[in-house]
Amino acid sequence: MCDAVVQEKAISVQNEFGLHARPAAQIAQEAQKFSSVIHIGMQGREIDAKSILDILSLAAPRGTDLFLKAEGCDAYEAVQRIARLFEERFGEGR
Amino acid sequence: MAKHVLTGIPVSSGVAIGKAFFLNKNRLSQAPRQTIDEGLVRQEQQRLGQAFTLASQELERIRGNVPKELQEHGALIDSYLMILRDKKLGDSAGEYIKRLRINAEWALEKAVADVEQMFNAIDDEYIRARMQDVRLVTQRVMDQFAGQENGAMPVGHRVILMAHDLTAADTIELEVDKIMAFATAMGGKTSHAGILARSLQIPAIVGVEELEQSITDNSIVILDGFNGRILIQPTEDELNKYTGLQYRFEDYQRSLTRVCHLPGETRDGYRVDVFANIELFEEVTSVLDNGGEGIGLYRTEYNYMNRSTFPTEDELTEIYTDLATIVAPNKVVIRTLDLGADKLSSFGALEEANPAMGLRAVRFCMAHKDIFRTQLRAILRAGTQGHVSIMFPMISGLQELKEIKAFYFQIKEELRKEGTAYNPDIPLGIMIEVPAAVLVADSLAREVDFFSIGTNDLIQYCLGIDRTNKHVDYLYQPLHPAIVTSIKSVIDSAHRAGIEVSVCGEMAADPFCIPILMGMQVDSISLTPQAIPGIKRIIRQVPMEDCKVLLKEVLESESVAGNNVLVKEMIFRRFPDELMFYTSLLDGD
Repeated sequence: MCDAVVQEKAISVQNEFGLHARPAAQIAQEAQKFSSVIHIGMQGREIDAKSILDILSLAAPRGTDLFLKAEGCDAYEAVQRIARLFEERFGEGR
Repeated sequence: MAKHVLTGIPVSSGVAIGKAFFLNKNRLSQAPRQTIDEGLVRQEQQRLGQAFTLASQELERIRGNVPKELQEHGALIDSYLMILRDKKLGDSAGEYIKRLRINAEWALEKAVADVEQMFNAIDDEYIRARMQDVRLVTQRVMDQFAGQENGAMPVGHRVILMAHDLTAADTIELEVDKIMAFATAMGGKTSHAGILARSLQIPAIVGVEELEQSITDNSIVILDGFNGRILIQPTEDELNKYTGLQYRFEDYQRSLTRVCHLPGETRDGYRVDVFANIELFEEVTSVLDNGGEGIGLYRTEYNYMNRSTFPTEDELTEIYTDLATIVAPNKVVIRTLDLGADKLSSFGALEEANPAMGLRAVRFCMAHKDIFRTQLRAILRAGTQGHVSIMFPMISGLQELKEIKAFYFQIKEELRKEGTAYNPDIPLGIMIEVPAAVLVADSLAREVDFFSIGTNDLIQYCLGIDRTNKHVDYLYQPLHPAIVTSIKSVIDSAHRAGIEVSVCGEMAADPFCIPILMGMQVDSISLTPQAIPGIKRIIRQVPMEDCKVLLKEVLESESVAGNNVLVKEMIFRRFPDELMFYTSLLDGD
């Protein structure tokens, strides 16, 4: 057993085409590796970061501000890893 | 006549004659819907889970077989797998089975409908189109319920493939060397099927109505990828005609490959430089593959759209420098921002009744000098690499041009004082696309190093028609005497002032308009990369003398219809292949 923590972080979409199919797949894939409950918030809406369909439904273009929120034993690491995907622009180059 | 003729949207040129083969024709179109007893809920949920597992294993197997050169497809299949494993589908369908006591098929349909509702609320067309992926993935699960394998290809002979739709996952299972052509019932001009066909260089038609009802396996069909027609059980005469067409097209394509890397020069030694129009950096590959001799028009709007902030000077400098470097030693003409406030989401839309004639292009830039300054500084800095030129769009008069130049010189001075590296000798040009600029071209020509005639806007403004307006698009006439005279007078003005002139609108990519532009002695043309080989073929085969004669006749004629006939006669005499394999701007009248 461990102590559940809540971790939050503000992020922005920086890759050229926004959260289209491939970035969405990468986020969901990464999120599924963690036991924490992970949400992505955008304009008052919160969706499940483990669901590619939920992420796609955000339709977030480049420049959108989002926040990540995870709750569980591995919340800290989960937020770090997912935030890094955004920072690296999902490996899209510019 | 053939027994039956179907029509659809042609997406890849060519002709194929052969036997039809249907992919997955026996798929159930409607899943059975039943309510179930409470005692069967568990069992039904297990059946659902098993179908998901099998569908998932099947996709993983396909994923494992993706050859290296198709890794793009591989990534797509990864996202299919993600969708398949999404809670929104499987878990939600499982819930429906329990709550509504319905069978697995029906429950899955309901889960998909929920997702669809969520997607329908989305503004973004690209993301809405992902709903297609969700349906596809679900179809694979549905196939498992029905105990069906996805259709394997027949062995032994090549076929003309027919399918309801072709997706990235389907195409990977196909043995492409056995497919001569294909047709799908679904899809539009930009669907995946078309992209696939063009990359395989086989003819294809999409959006064919009644495809599934009309064609059976092994029936003989002719697929005409030029006109989007499928002839079922063709006659002897039709077979002969299309076999001939097939050979001719193959010859034609071979001649294009031979010609595209040769210079654009007529048989009697007249040279037309052939450049490419691009919008994205990635298009450079296509320019080089198709024999483009440089970039005659780089549209810079893309970096400003679909984002909430303006690009920074460093960001633009990097993009322009990369482009200049990769295209060197050939040149890149960078057109400054040609947008109106209406297109800039980040700008807070300006209410304009008629944006095409509103605060756009250089007018917008001069009203928002901070934005203009950033772009000009970036171009000047990038100009230290390769061969960069600057082009200003929408110029309508001398005063305006002088003000823009004054601003440009001021920015050069800023860079010089700061000690920032820049190229002080970048050639300056302007787009001639407003009729007023045509009339004062002589005085404009003394101020710049080159002209580029944007025929799309020039035709639109000169004839007073909005070409996106269906009610008046019949008046979009490139060979209207007013247009021909305007273009000729701009070219003459440029040459009198000793500067070069290019044509960069769609006319430059139209095989039927090219001989006339050549007759006017245009120095270069710039067009979409894919059209370059076909246009070079014409330039290399037509003598300048013929172009001059044609131009003289066209200038003397007073009617558009008369001009169109003159041009078509010339093309028919010299280039019967082009008449067959192209649709021209002149068509439709």
